Amino acid sequence: MSELDLGFMGEIANTPRGKGVLLCIQCGRCSSGCPVARLTGEHNPRRLMEMVILGFKKEVLPTQLPWYCLSCFTCLDRCPQGGDVGEVMFAIRNLAVRQGNIPAGVAAQAKALYETTRVINPVRTALDKRESLGLSKITTDGLEDVQRILKRTGMEKIVKST
Amino acid sequence: MTEKAVMVIGGGVSGIQASLDLASRGFKVYLVEKSPSIGGRMAQLDKTFPTMDCSMCILAPKMIDCSHHPNVQLLTYSEVKEVKGSAGNFVVRVLRKPRFVDEAKCTGCGICADHCPVEVPNEFDEQLGMRKAVYMPFPQAVPRAMTVDKNNCIECGLCQKMCQAGAVDLKQQPQEVELNVGAIVVSIGFDLFDPSQIPTYGYGRYKNVVTALELERLLCASGPTGGHLIRPSDGKIPRKIAFIQCVGSRDRRFGTTYCSSICCKYSVKDAVLIKEHEPNTTVSIFYIDLRAFGRGFQEFVNRAKSEYGVRFIRSSPGEIMEKPATKNLTIWYEDTVAGRIENTEFDLVVLCPALVPRTDARELAKVLGASVDDYGFFKASNILTNPVDTTVQGIFACGYCLGPKTGDIPDSIMQGSATAARVAEVLERV
Amino acid sequence: MVNKMKYAFFLGCLIPARELSYEVSVRKVMPELGVELVDMKGANCCAPFSIQSVDHASWMALAARNLCLAEEMGLDIMTLCNDCYESLLMTSTILKRNPELRNQVNEILSEVGKEYKGKVDVKNLVDVLYRDVGVSKVKSAIKEPIKGLKVGTQPGCHLTKPKRIHFELLRGFNELDALVQATGAESVPYERKEMCCGGPLRDINDDLARQISREKLIALKNAEVQAVVTVCPFCFLQLDLGQLEVKRHFNEEYNLPVIHFIELLRLGMGMKLEDWEIKAHRIPITELLKDRL
Repeated sequence: MSELDLGFMGEIANTPRGKGVLLCIQCGRCSSGCPVARLTGEHNPRRLMEMVILGFKKEVLPTQLPWYCLSCFTCLDRCPQGGDVGEVMFAIRNLAVRQGNIPAGVAAQAKALYETTRVINPVRTALDKRESLGLSKITTDGLEDVQRILKRTGMEKIVKST
Repeated sequence: MTEKAVMVIGGGVSGIQASLDLASRGFKVYLVEKSPSIGGRMAQLDKTFPTMDCSMCILAPKMIDCSHHPNVQLLTYSEVKEVKGSAGNFVVRVLRKPRFVDEAKCTGCGICADHCPVEVPNEFDEQLGMRKAVYMPFPQAVPRAMTVDKNNCIECGLCQKMCQAGAVDLKQQPQEVELNVGAIVVSIGFDLFDPSQIPTYGYGRYKNVVTALELERLLCASGPTGGHLIRPSDGKIPRKIAFIQCVGSRDRRFGTTYCSSICCKYSVKDAVLIKEHEPNTTVSIFYIDLRAFGRGFQEFVNRAKSEYGVRFIRSSPGEIMEKPATKNLTIWYEDTVAGRIENTEFDLVVLCPALVPRTDARELAKVLGASVDDYGFFKASNILTNPVDTTVQGIFACGYCLGPKTGDIPDSIMQGSATAARVAEVLERV
Repeated sequence: MVNKMKYAFFLGCLIPARELSYEVSVRKVMPELGVELVDMKGANCCAPFSIQSVDHASWMALAARNLCLAEEMGLDIMTLCNDCYESLLMTSTILKRNPELRNQVNEILSEVGKEYKGKVDVKNLVDVLYRDVGVSKVKSAIKEPIKGLKVGTQPGCHLTKPKRIHFELLRGFNELDALVQATGAESVPYERKEMCCGGPLRDINDDLARQISREKLIALKNAEVQAVVTVCPFCFLQLDLGQLEVKRHFNEEYNLPVIHFIELLRLGMGMKLEDWEIKAHRIPITELLKDRL
């Protein structure tokens, strides 16, 4: 076990969507409803909050742990205190990405967004079908805007480094 | 001229104590109660902590004292409609709802109820049992008189025909009385948070998910099952019971962010009671924090674990699912100490709901001109130094309507006596 | 924004890529119910959860750019996909309530000459049908009621959660169910109806995604539904194509046809589905809906 980072909780609390971690009372209502926690002992929203609170930064940020979340918000609905685990997950992942931890599937979507304005693009057959039905064309009309925005926010750098 | 009379609104144990204290000091007390009988929540309980006495056995003598004391006048089935004046000289208009029975003539023999053809769920039994349209809410009711529930009465007149004392008067009219009092005490108590607001617990849909108050009625010898602990769906004795704490309490989704302060206490009491009734039944308590403060409580918890084998699981469950064939319940929870998601089957689940202000509390506060806090509890004029004074001079409050202090019976009685002393101060001023 | 029954149509990425039949059904049905849909030129991806996980400010700015486009059109937005819905709804709600955050986002948007004024409402298809068109109008448009069909509805996570936003909009499960009843079909309760389909874990952890959709399929099968009705294209993918994946990995067959609500409505309104649309359902729907297809 590595050294604890006692500032980790504060760091997450000051990241957008992360302030709920300050309110968690570790009641376990979130994990009892989590569809993923039911299937695998690895993912446990309550335990993840506990690790953040206690300062297990090295055990959280570089790992798979934050990426099992479905963002289904079941936990968020059940939390009595405003701990908002589902939201805190995003804060954890934002920090994880900054450290270079980003799953391949997510990186691919981010790249597609940067290159085409969409995360998923139609294949040739789908485009042909669109045309044959007389539907509007799929364009990359907003691409310049999207790239300017992503450059400004710094996400361009993340995309280019993955 | 200060009126030497006081009105107590709410006939639970807190209001009863205040009334008796004041009456024995020589003041005239009008005890106003909305329901047909005084007694309140304590009358609904089976046994009380810490003495494990039968609740009604302790309460009933106090209730009788109220009815017999020359200085106490009971105005049951009545509501306070208007308050004018100020400390030392209030004029209160009280509406006496018609019970369609002459209290003076009625002997409480119950023959009218025996013949009444209408059956409706009994509020005193938390809708678990039935009563007739003409009824006495519970056997030890004070005053000992029947009441006709006109909303459900079909006006067949059988009660009137059968009554040997000529006490039934189906044409009785509501009465308004104006009373002059020097001070007022509010002791209207609490309601329960409605657990059906948390759909994943299944309350209202699953028959074997009950509230703690419903459990008390099931355990109580004067209750709908005669004190036999059986489960609502099939009358079988439950063999695996779960208590779930903090249902609605400490929950910002419903605005009840406070701790209701007595639920950890009573659930351990109930767990021990159940084990004494049925030693072969296992009882598990699902808690977030076990708040066992004061008065021998931690010791009681330790005994519950070691002597009675009550299981304590640190977890707030997420959902309850019903097995359609057996109507048993599966609780999904994370054992936060072990760090594992589990699901366990129980045959009875008891929810410990938050205790909330009564729905009519705000209206009464408005009539009195008193302030309530954000939750709807009566506000003390200074929570630190004057905890039983409301924000209106001459009006005091005691019991749970002031909010969850320690909230248990000895404290409610204490507060009742405290308000009596405060009232005496006001009334003794000339 | 007022302009009832006319919306900026936010298609999202998944539907044009893989569920053209959904788009086509919407374009055929909505005008019949008096709803006008205007395509949004140059709209970008809504910024679903994967992107939100990468960077917060990027999410807000990208979503807000779409809101700007709708604002310039003078219209509210209607989405089809639940992910798009959640992303745009949360953004519009947060920016409406928090002027400081709106200023921060607008600072980023100034790079592309846009400014969001906070005026756009975001709705989804179920919203529009239930609240704007109305259940009785939907019912009166039914020419061939889907009688005797027992379905399990999958409203999807983001139509009903988080409740603290959705409760304010008075949203629950009842809306989709009421609409299904209006077509003549019967919506049957099943265990863990509000549970996720597993879609968000696709391409991130396929194994878990499959296990979750399998749990859903089991619950649906136990409730003896004849078909599953979806509104989100991810739910459709997970439960329709997902059944073939579950068969491959768990060797279990469920044979539960999955159909989008708008397609059910289309059939109820007496319109036929074309061959390619029928084939787009990987679990065949021919047996189930034989006479009306």
